[in-house]
Amino acid sequence: MQLLRNLARRRLRTGLTVSGITIGIWALVVFSSMANKVDALVSGGSDYYAGKIVVSDGGFGGIGGQPMRLADLDALIAIDGVDVVVPTVAMIAQEIQGVSFGPPDQVWGTPVGADEGRETYNPPVATGRSLTADDEGTDVAVLGSSIAAKRNAGVGDTITLDGRNFEVVGVLEPTLSTPDVTIAVPFTTAQGLVHADLPAVVRDAVDAAQLATSFTVFPTDGVDHDALATTIEARLPGIEALTGDAYDQSVGSSVSVFNSIIVGIGLVSLIVGGLSVINTMAMSVAERTREIGIKRAIGARRRRVVRELVVEAGVIGTIGGLLGIAFGALVVVLVNEAGRSSGTVLFDLTPNTAIFALAFSTILGIVAGIVPAWSAARLDPVAALRYE
Amino acid sequence: MALLEARNLRKTYRLSKSNVVEALRGVDVTIDEGEMVAIMGPSGSGKSTLMHVLGLLHKADSNHGPAPELRFAGQDVTGLADNERTRIRATEMGFVFQAFNLVPTLTAAENVALAAEYAGTRGPAARAAAIEALGLVGLADRAQHRPSELSGGEQQRVAVARALINRPRLVIGDEPTGNLDSVRSAEVLGLLRGLNREHGHTFLIVTHDPEVGEACDRTIRMRDGVVVSDGREAARAVA
Repeated sequence: MQLLRNLARRRLRTGLTVSGITIGIWALVVFSSMANKVDALVSGGSDYYAGKIVVSDGGFGGIGGQPMRLADLDALIAIDGVDVVVPTVAMIAQEIQGVSFGPPDQVWGTPVGADEGRETYNPPVATGRSLTADDEGTDVAVLGSSIAAKRNAGVGDTITLDGRNFEVVGVLEPTLSTPDVTIAVPFTTAQGLVHADLPAVVRDAVDAAQLATSFTVFPTDGVDHDALATTIEARLPGIEALTGDAYDQSVGSSVSVFNSIIVGIGLVSLIVGGLSVINTMAMSVAERTREIGIKRAIGARRRRVVRELVVEAGVIGTIGGLLGIAFGALVVVLVNEAGRSSGTVLFDLTPNTAIFALAFSTILGIVAGIVPAWSAARLDPVAALRYE
Repeated sequence: MALLEARNLRKTYRLSKSNVVEALRGVDVTIDEGEMVAIMGPSGSGKSTLMHVLGLLHKADSNHGPAPELRFAGQDVTGLADNERTRIRATEMGFVFQAFNLVPTLTAAENVALAAEYAGTRGPAARAAAIEALGLVGLADRAQHRPSELSGGEQQRVAVARALINRPRLVIGDEPTGNLDSVRSAEVLGLLRGLNREHGHTFLIVTHDPEVGEACDRTIRMRDGVVVSDGREAARAVA
């Protein structure tokens, strides 16, 4: 009570200091949420690439390059150390492109069961079912969570791709990664879609049934992935073989730099907030010199004076932290809601981020209060009593 | 019985290289339990400094002249560390200042309770004691008022209640009537005198006011950092 009255004594100043912390924590929460989202994206990719080598014609993830031939599968399977090869057909879903953060929307098809049980990356189905081998030749689709939200489509609805109608048979759980923006269709159907999408000149020269845009290679147990990737690249000129380690290195390291930068921005704003707490507490101490002198004279120990002021500073930090988290959460929710219609989920505010932000702001307040509090406790009570 | 015994108190303030003030130049005083003593003297005579040293707010110099000696209630308190001196101030002493010195954000009752809390009394008990102490100075009905809502005389009575709440052995007053008009001044003085007579509190009052001096049992007069007259011998002779 007494503490709140002390804080209320200089409402404007306390309010400004709390605002400083609030803005700092707000920035930390928002930027950390963005970093969380990027992390989820990258770790999704990391999970996907684990234990396999993705062979494509140079475009990242098999998108956008010249099509490979299904015949390349035979060349791959012939390589020593290659156990299972799964062909994939993928294309960027042109008509539903918009401004987006992360991977582009894509249509994806792969023969069910061709992995012989080697695929470990299977995003769980939220509603409906996943594709089966019996779906080949039909126009059915399983939607990623963002696509489903964007197209406002659920199981049983019909969506249109390149003028063809597809029945939605399943929707995936959100992963915050590529599957969210993926429309999975049967392999042969995907081949047809890609074929129809090719430039006329190329299209005439290619048989739809021979199309593949990438291959997933599952190496034999104990085979060195990097060495195998090198061998694959040597055997099939013009293609690229990406291992899980290579993905982690190339994407993971650049993402960690990105994350450091955005968390750094949040931290800088917090340092500014922390300095303003020091300033506020130093001013409070100067203003209350006489009061501190009275308290010391009538028997308050130094420790008690320190505790009183440090707790006050800690409360400033806590209030600022709570407000910062609240405003941050508001922005995260609003932006995500606004983006959901276009399939763009920008932020991921985790409980850990919120707890860290609150603990950080409280500790920041306490630490910032220690020096002014200690100097207050060192005052000579007699001199402090004379202070005007 | 002597409550306070001081020998060879010296205190020099070095305000700057060229400005050295010898505020106390070897002071010996003894205050008996239950006495009401005034310390008088012109400005700069060292009476405030003496009060600060006797009230354990400052330490006597021990680096020149004969070693100082200060005993309070039989205990040697000459060289005690800050925490110990603070504890004695909190539990065994009460202070009344010229400028009242109440905490502006706290109510009268909270100001009084503060002193009880510093002496180790917990919340509800401290609040009850505060109301009782305010009753003793006739301000029970003003307990929930802030200092700014009280007159000078009322504020000083709150300060007296704060000084008395822990039933201290010694109450020190620094010009307790200095900021009050003659009517309020007489009121506060009468209050102190009554408390001394009825409850046996020992009072040590620094003052300019001859009326305060007269109301006390004895007057110690100071000039230039030494005691020039101490009513103690006279008081003894009369007794």
